[in-house]
Amino acid sequence: MSVPMLSVRDLRTSFFSQRGEVQAVRGVSFDVHPGEILGIVGESGSGKSITCMSILRLLKSSGRIMGGEALFDGRDLFGLDEDAMRDLRGNDIAVIFQDPMTSLNPTLTVGEQVIETILRHRKVSRAEARARAIELFELVRIPSAAKRLKSYPHEFSGGMRQRVMIAMALSCDPKLLIADEPTTALDVTIQRQILLLLKELQSRLGMAVILITHDLGVIAEVTDRIVVMYGGMVMEQGSVRDLFAHPRHPYTQGLLSSVPDLRDDTHRRLTPIPGSPPDMVHPPAGCPFAPRCIHAMNQCAQAMPPLFTTATAPALAAGQGARCWLHHAEAPAVPGVNAPALEEAV
Amino acid sequence: MPLYVLQRLGLMLVTLFAIVTLTFFLMHAVPGGPFVSERMLAPEIEAALNAKFGLSDPIWVQYLNYLRSIMMFDLGPSFKYPGVSVNQMIADGLPVTLRTGLLAVICVIALGVPMGIVAALNRNKWPDTAVMMVATMGVAIPSYVIATVLLYVFALRLGWVPTFGLDDWRGYILPVLALSGFWVSFVARLSRSSLLETLDQDYMTTARAKGLKPGQVLFKHGLRNSLIPVVTVLGPVTANLLTGSFVIEQIFALPGIGRHFVLSITNRDYTAIMGITIFYAALLMVMILIVDLLYLWLDPRIKLGKQA
Repeated sequence: MSVPMLSVRDLRTSFFSQRGEVQAVRGVSFDVHPGEILGIVGESGSGKSITCMSILRLLKSSGRIMGGEALFDGRDLFGLDEDAMRDLRGNDIAVIFQDPMTSLNPTLTVGEQVIETILRHRKVSRAEARARAIELFELVRIPSAAKRLKSYPHEFSGGMRQRVMIAMALSCDPKLLIADEPTTALDVTIQRQILLLLKELQSRLGMAVILITHDLGVIAEVTDRIVVMYGGMVMEQGSVRDLFAHPRHPYTQGLLSSVPDLRDDTHRRLTPIPGSPPDMVHPPAGCPFAPRCIHAMNQCAQAMPPLFTTATAPALAAGQGARCWLHHAEAPAVPGVNAPALEEAV
Repeated sequence: MPLYVLQRLGLMLVTLFAIVTLTFFLMHAVPGGPFVSERMLAPEIEAALNAKFGLSDPIWVQYLNYLRSIMMFDLGPSFKYPGVSVNQMIADGLPVTLRTGLLAVICVIALGVPMGIVAALNRNKWPDTAVMMVATMGVAIPSYVIATVLLYVFALRLGWVPTFGLDDWRGYILPVLALSGFWVSFVARLSRSSLLETLDQDYMTTARAKGLKPGQVLFKHGLRNSLIPVVTVLGPVTANLLTGSFVIEQIFALPGIGRHFVLSITNRDYTAIMGITIFYAALLMVMILIVDLLYLWLDPRIKLGKQA
């Protein structure tokens, strides 16, 4: 594998509230390689967005990075001063947020919002920045681009606004694009268009993308590798193919079986995961998923499992990792997790 | 746009008409009259005075006569000051009231808004606490108490400023401070909460995520949005300050309109009460119109007159 462009190691982020320290991210590590699309999946509160906002150091005032490091192109993001960080934001690393309705400033024209980003990072004249903005609008397929620069966000539909957000994010040719639930707030028909647009632009421009989502359908369609997060930790990671075909963590398996399959005509009922996510003020000492896990053992509630890899856990594919005690050498065999599933064995 | 302004001006006339009618009849419903306070007025003299000013006519005749005269911008003669018209009274008091009022408005904007910004940017730190303490006192303590304390400390004890009169610029300091104190505090609190709310918006995160400098983020993206509620109150506040605070003018013995207004009420100086009320109402409505037009510039989502 190539040298990672972004390397996050043991990231820990907390928020301080009246109730105490909310440990939103508890030791997350992952790599993003040049030109790949990494999906980060998890339910709300799993810490996936906080992880990315930590990388950009854009946490709300109550949030603090408690430890870990993030190396971007060899530079330690948590060690940079604020000025250097600002030069990087929107330039080397750009973001698209979830809700295009609230993420654009209602009192400025969309053109101005794109142009100011270009002027911030590039030594160009206003006219050149404007020409570039038109180019970008055409790139994201906003019709009559030149005219639409003068429009205000409220004059656009949700899908068009998200296109503006994408144009804005791409304005300085970022090496890494973080897309935080970019399609969640959109109509289903528009979701697909935006997703395919992102995928197409990614391969055309060759940038790396982190796609944060809770929608496994989105992940399957466009990403190369997946990180599954739960309770502020990485539960499982691996290639899309491995994780969809052979998920080796009970949480990932639960997630996959709670997705409706339209091709399935056996009238199988959806299997929800019972229970609710852990309280992050007092996170459990052991595996955060243990209270909801159908395979939970005594060990699970007592000690945090490490992220097992194929080196010690033969059930895992190369590059796959799973944070589950079932991959320990002494764990009992559970078909589908650490032993071949019944249909796999045949 | 011009059509909208015309519409609004038309509506203002209708509103003014309603105000005139209401004030006129309310005023006449109050017992007494302009000449009852004169000592030992012979009945025939009082009758003659009433006849001279048309007060013996049936009330609806008086009303119609009054309407006719204000149509020609004539607010009539003062009943209490012979030979002085109400127009003249307003014209005499206006420069003083306007000058103190305008200075107070400038104070409100130049002090209140920055105070709010400083407080919001230093949320829960000492500058915030300090600003909020001053602002809470300013809102809670009535202006006449502030005025009296200011007078006692700075004029009487320290002797830095004159106790009354507007002979030089220092005479304006205390009245303007006392007049604007409440609104400076009010606007400081409002700007603070409004800016805090704006800072929390998603588009502020977007602005920071684009790498914009803190100044750009605050002034270009934050301030404009957070100023909308502030502008809303500035309209009525300006009208209020421009027409003068009766109490402040009284305490500092300023020859403004406010004093005339108070006196005219106790004197039942019908035309003066009416004239000043109409003048105040008109000023208020013009200020509100200006604020509504300011919105257009601040918030492009607002399209005036489209819904009508």
